[in-house]
Amino acid sequence: MFAQLLFSGLALGSMYALVALGYNITYATSKTVNFSQGQSVMVGAVVAYALYVSAGWPFALALAVTLVALAVVGVLVERIAVRPFLRSASIAWLLATIALGIIAENVTMILFGKDARAFPSALATTPWMILGAGVYPHELLVPVVGIALMVAVELGFRRTLAGKALLAVAFSHEAAGLMGIDVNRTITAAYALSSLLAGVAGVLLAPLLNVSATMGTTIGLKAFAVAIIGGMESPRGIIVAGFLYGIFEAIVAGYLGTGVREILGFGLVIVVLLLRPWGLFGAPALRRV
Amino acid sequence: MRRSGFLRTVLLLTLAVALTATTAPAQQTKPPVVVALVAAMSGGSALSGEAIKRGLSVAIDEINAKGGVLGGRKIELVIRDEEGNPGKGVTAARDVIEREKAVVVFGGIHSPVGLAMLPVFHELKVPYVGPWAAATGITRNGRNPNFMFRVSANDDIVDHFLAKHVTDKLGKKKPGIILENTPWGASNQEGLTKWFGQLGAQPVGFEKFNWGDPDMSPQLLRLRNGGADAIVLVANAPEGAQVVKSRAKIGWDVPTISHWGISGGRFADLTGELSESVVFVQTYSFFGKQSDVGDRVISALKAKYGIKGPEDILAPVGTANAYDAMHLVGLAIEKAGAADGVKIRDALENLGEYRGLIKTYKHPFTADEHDALNEKDYVLVTWKQGKIVPVTMK
Repeated sequence: MFAQLLFSGLALGSMYALVALGYNITYATSKTVNFSQGQSVMVGAVVAYALYVSAGWPFALALAVTLVALAVVGVLVERIAVRPFLRSASIAWLLATIALGIIAENVTMILFGKDARAFPSALATTPWMILGAGVYPHELLVPVVGIALMVAVELGFRRTLAGKALLAVAFSHEAAGLMGIDVNRTITAAYALSSLLAGVAGVLLAPLLNVSATMGTTIGLKAFAVAIIGGMESPRGIIVAGFLYGIFEAIVAGYLGTGVREILGFGLVIVVLLLRPWGLFGAPALRRV
Repeated sequence: MRRSGFLRTVLLLTLAVALTATTAPAQQTKPPVVVALVAAMSGGSALSGEAIKRGLSVAIDEINAKGGVLGGRKIELVIRDEEGNPGKGVTAARDVIEREKAVVVFGGIHSPVGLAMLPVFHELKVPYVGPWAAATGITRNGRNPNFMFRVSANDDIVDHFLAKHVTDKLGKKKPGIILENTPWGASNQEGLTKWFGQLGAQPVGFEKFNWGDPDMSPQLLRLRNGGADAIVLVANAPEGAQVVKSRAKIGWDVPTISHWGISGGRFADLTGELSESVVFVQTYSFFGKQSDVGDRVISALKAKYGIKGPEDILAPVGTANAYDAMHLVGLAIEKAGAADGVKIRDALENLGEYRGLIKTYKHPFTADEHDALNEKDYVLVTWKQGKIVPVTMK
């Protein structure tokens, strides 16, 4: 039983981590978060479904076009719902991104319908038995691809010029600007990247969650809880927290029952906020005097 | 000048109104009698709404072809999508009654919506006739007069049917029950607890899931570890599919018996071959030898919706229940002698015999029994290659 719960938790946790990493990237660079991140997951799955299943494109091509589309979505979110409000230092971006998410959901309902559809994956039909626990190979693919992507993002930050620009902007807008980095463009890039990650998550999750207009809502919310627990500014903390949260959920559901799962999960978020507002793995911000 | 212009306009308008008022009856067009469908026309259970619409439409065509009701008034159907959302259902119920002047409202698959709309029908005094949602409390609600009727399953009766199948036919005494965390799930938890208890079986557990939950293996593991020898499933199509997939994942091969919510969506698409491992309850099967009513309905569906045969009748209970429900409502309107909710309600309780699709109804409804169907009318079915077919018992 424990092995089974562990596998379920790992698959869920890697989904949360992947989506939560998107929150981290925009928060680090602009102190804003795309609250429609869950809907970006959904858009990724729906676009991929339309191209791969409905239109019958080859998977690689469908995936490539989906990712480009999601990057564009990220740029649009930043331009429409975030940038206009950044200067005024209000939290209007919060409401604006939530609003965009609701619009995205409803537009999808009109264009795609509200039915849940099956996204075929050869890896999600026959389960493997490992340590006496059943697991769909696709569920193992999620953490593998997830971790590979997180490593790629981390390396991209440290090794490429664009990545270093992102890190610089995250450190200080003024200093980065003085060094000739286009701060606005960097923030836009951060949004594109974050939305792209959500899109990958959407395509990865589609065979497990089924494709529907509302598939991203819960994932987006739980990923945000993960980002808070891990520390908004700590990518590695978020990844660890994602896995822990997924396993925590599965174990609570397995041993205590599903009734208390959300109560304990979101209770944990509040406890972390009270005791370690910078997250379990983050570092407290230096006090500026 | 301005004032006299205004006066002239008013005069002209009055004249125009008076003219239309006097000429209208001369055209001999009688106003239609409006009935409404408030159901999930979209979402994971959208097929259920479409199926109900088809059943109602075929019956309405038959009634109108014979000259309508109340001396030549046609029946007209208006449809609202409640999206599975109780709040939207309440708004839609008010809207169709107050604006569209519907005199009867048919409901959809979702019991929480039916239960939420219940006070509206009693406040506005318009009967609800449910062709799908099965929560016991929809019809057995303690209201007097009771405006809620149903031509569909009733959870309490279905639960007895399911429990009896598990204990008597399958010989299993330790069922594990998994149900959705909604009023519909609660309605069945109550019924299954009662009937399994009376049949001498002890459920090993009642596990719940929320709409949209991705992985049900923790719940199933709890049931398996509790020693369950059969699964009783109470779910709609999307979550039912996740339950069955999770069951296959943990390699648990056990008889799975389901309430009928899973037949309201793309369950067979979502689960593929796994769908064939589930048996579930229906009120009617379009397969096998049909009565002349059955043949007539199938050919009407072929003509109107281009289906090829009974295997294309998706979510068939919705169509069958709605067809009989509409005819019963037609008879009640005729008997009431007026397009008036209160009179139609009284008439529904006093209808005579009606030879319908599902059966011949002796007294479809009485003052004490607002469910027209009972256990004898249920059939057990499964999926074969994506189509719903009857189970042949060994």
